[in-house]
Amino acid sequence: MFLTRLTSSPHFYTFLYIAICMLAAFNIFEVLFLLVHKRRVEKAEAKKELLKHRITTAVITVTDPSELLPAPKDSTDHEAYSEAVASIIGSFQGEVAERAIQLIYKLKIDRYYQRLCKNPVWYKRAHAVDILSALKLTRNRDFFPDLFKTETSNDVKYRIIYGLSLLARDQEYIYSLCKLLSGLPYLTAKYTEDVFFNAITALKGAGREAEFKFFLKRIMAAPEILTIVKRDCLSACHAAGCEQMDLIVMEYYWTFQDEPEVMIACIKSLVSMGDLAILPSVLRHKDWRVRLTALKSAHLCGPEVLPALKDSLHDTNYHLRINAALALARFGAEGRAILRGEAASPDKFAADAARYALGSAEAAA
Amino acid sequence: MNPALITAAYWLQGVILLYFLAINSTYTLLILFALKDIIRHSYLSTSSGARRLLTADAYYKPVSVIVPAYNEAAVISSSVRSLLNLHYPEFEIIVINDGSGDGTMARLKEDFKLGAYTKPVRLQVPHAAIKDIYVSADYPNLLVVDKENGGKADAINAGINISSYPLFCSIDADSLLEPDAILKASKLFIEDDELIATGGIVRVMNGCRVKDGAVIDIELPKSTLETIQVLEYTRAFLSGRTGWNFLKSLLIISGAFGVFRKDMVLAIKGYRKTVGEDMDLVMRLHRHCLDSKIPYKIFFVPDPVCWTQVPFTLKMLRRQRNRWHRGLIDCLINNRAMILNPKYGAVSLYGISYFLFVEVLGPVIELLGYLSIPILYLAGLLNTRFVLLFITVAILWGISINIATIFLDTYNFRRYKKNRDILRLCFISVVEFLGYRQLTLLERVRASFSFRETGWGTQKRQSH
Repeated sequence: MFLTRLTSSPHFYTFLYIAICMLAAFNIFEVLFLLVHKRRVEKAEAKKELLKHRITTAVITVTDPSELLPAPKDSTDHEAYSEAVASIIGSFQGEVAERAIQLIYKLKIDRYYQRLCKNPVWYKRAHAVDILSALKLTRNRDFFPDLFKTETSNDVKYRIIYGLSLLARDQEYIYSLCKLLSGLPYLTAKYTEDVFFNAITALKGAGREAEFKFFLKRIMAAPEILTIVKRDCLSACHAAGCEQMDLIVMEYYWTFQDEPEVMIACIKSLVSMGDLAILPSVLRHKDWRVRLTALKSAHLCGPEVLPALKDSLHDTNYHLRINAALALARFGAEGRAILRGEAASPDKFAADAARYALGSAEAAA
Repeated sequence: MNPALITAAYWLQGVILLYFLAINSTYTLLILFALKDIIRHSYLSTSSGARRLLTADAYYKPVSVIVPAYNEAAVISSSVRSLLNLHYPEFEIIVINDGSGDGTMARLKEDFKLGAYTKPVRLQVPHAAIKDIYVSADYPNLLVVDKENGGKADAINAGINISSYPLFCSIDADSLLEPDAILKASKLFIEDDELIATGGIVRVMNGCRVKDGAVIDIELPKSTLETIQVLEYTRAFLSGRTGWNFLKSLLIISGAFGVFRKDMVLAIKGYRKTVGEDMDLVMRLHRHCLDSKIPYKIFFVPDPVCWTQVPFTLKMLRRQRNRWHRGLIDCLINNRAMILNPKYGAVSLYGISYFLFVEVLGPVIELLGYLSIPILYLAGLLNTRFVLLFITVAILWGISINIATIFLDTYNFRRYKKNRDILRLCFISVVEFLGYRQLTLLERVRASFSFRETGWGTQKRQSH
């Protein structure tokens, strides 16, 4: 028997004793390491918080903060500088923000993270890219495209594009971003939307919102740009509260009549810009998602939409019935009169929706 | 002695030795995978994304929080208040009173000024009859459903039907969510279109100080029984689930706190009525997506925190473990098509195999190991020296796994700030092997032979 042979071997017991001693020693080492590591992390965190406080105070109060502040020695110091400066850039503009950026350059914090962008471990590179992005350094406009060419991980590439989007300056720049995006698998709608949202915000900050309009015009018929990316650009317009794009968005709306998702993005953008002209016709669109989008803003239109709203109460789709009823309830006396009539409808579903909306309106009143 | 018996005894010893090596190696590997995952997570998780969600209204998905409640009068109001304090732009809370007989409904009516709710409900998944639906006059996003008793799965199904949003979060009525828990969990759905379900870490609330439905002072419980469960929960979530993440084979998202895409849960007709409804749901989601070739992800994230009460008496603990084990066996039987089936890839190879061979068969093998000691001794076949050394190695290896788990927790999260608490947890790592493990083992073996029972039993609650 294998087990008998094993347990009768004298070496086996020696091996077991050694294993027990090693495990016991390892356990003691683990406990000590645990406590030492905890202490080290706590000390590092305390040091970082103190340094961040000093950096923030120096940048806000002194014209050349680098004279007062120590040069960063380790990763904790670099993190303290990057976090403090990112926070200042997020809260201040003008001289203070510029001073914070100059501090990064003088103390070569950016060089440190640029070196980290070459680390063999992908998530460390991603972390470094995130930090450089948060600092919104104009030098990144040159550094990131070069990094993108040599980068092997898509996870990092998405972050590079995100970082670049924060520095958008004109339509050419956004178009090149768009081309970089096209070279990668589509990630998520929110990611793409976020990238264009950043670009619009950067352009708006520089007073050049119109550049995005030119960009939208340029890609409208571009076959190399995915339709879903175009949709995300339009959604970004809505999220960023664009005000000068109604004509181009309307152009998209009429061009993409066979793409319900693009139409939905257009409707949302147009409504947020105060343009309700298309809503009455959209309420009778063949795609229920398009109709639903229109219903959510239908109460802002005139009484010409009331027949369509009344018809929507009898739609086979639950969401459409509820939203049509809510739109009628928000419409005022005329809408509520329709609801009262429908509350006695032989169509049980329409009647339920009407009663619910009437109840909600009364509760709100 | 009968030579056949002697041969059988030797074989049994061999199997136990192999089982011991396999199980401890698995746990050690899971710890290593978890460590890698947690380090990666610490680099990639930044709070800026979460902050953005709060400020930009276009960047979130609204969430329905479903709270099934059965005889939870002692805790329901503070749980609901805690949920009302969630930091999230748009959410609704749906409390389902599942036929409680202890005044849960009366407490809710009294504390939240409930009035009739008339919104039509779409019946998409089946459940027991609804008596009434209410909405709070003070909090328009708080709905209460009063329904006939049908069990937890049935109650959540009712909540799914009533919910209005594309994501839903199911939590236990005795649990408290940290204010940013939903934000951290739902953010992942925005970042990844393929994500269909995720769960956060469930931590033990016993011993902590709770004020206005929020945990404000984190300490270990005083009783050893509860403290061992702190260690168990930490091990199960941080090393277990994070490790399964790494292997893309996560099979459980705790019923105490999970966030799901509603369309996917509706596609599998909601929860199935079983005592292990949380595991069953995740297994069926895997199965549905793999059968239909839908690209999907299900993963655990270690930083959204849900605090829960653990049993504080042996009787309650035994009942809970019995229920968990029955649930596990029932889920495996219900999803037996996934066992060692190459069609289900890593989920079958790693996840299902682990639960079948380690979690279901393991307790039986371990019990046989304990029983074989006196039998072999009486038969004069026991190598006492070997057995003692073997048990010592087993315990020391187990302790090192436990301490590594505590390290995983302190590496990134450091919930227990005091060294005293850390050292106590290390001490508890040893104590766990002296009685507690054997007790839960017995209950699991008992459950293995009574897995057809479907009862939940009642759990006592301490008010928060």
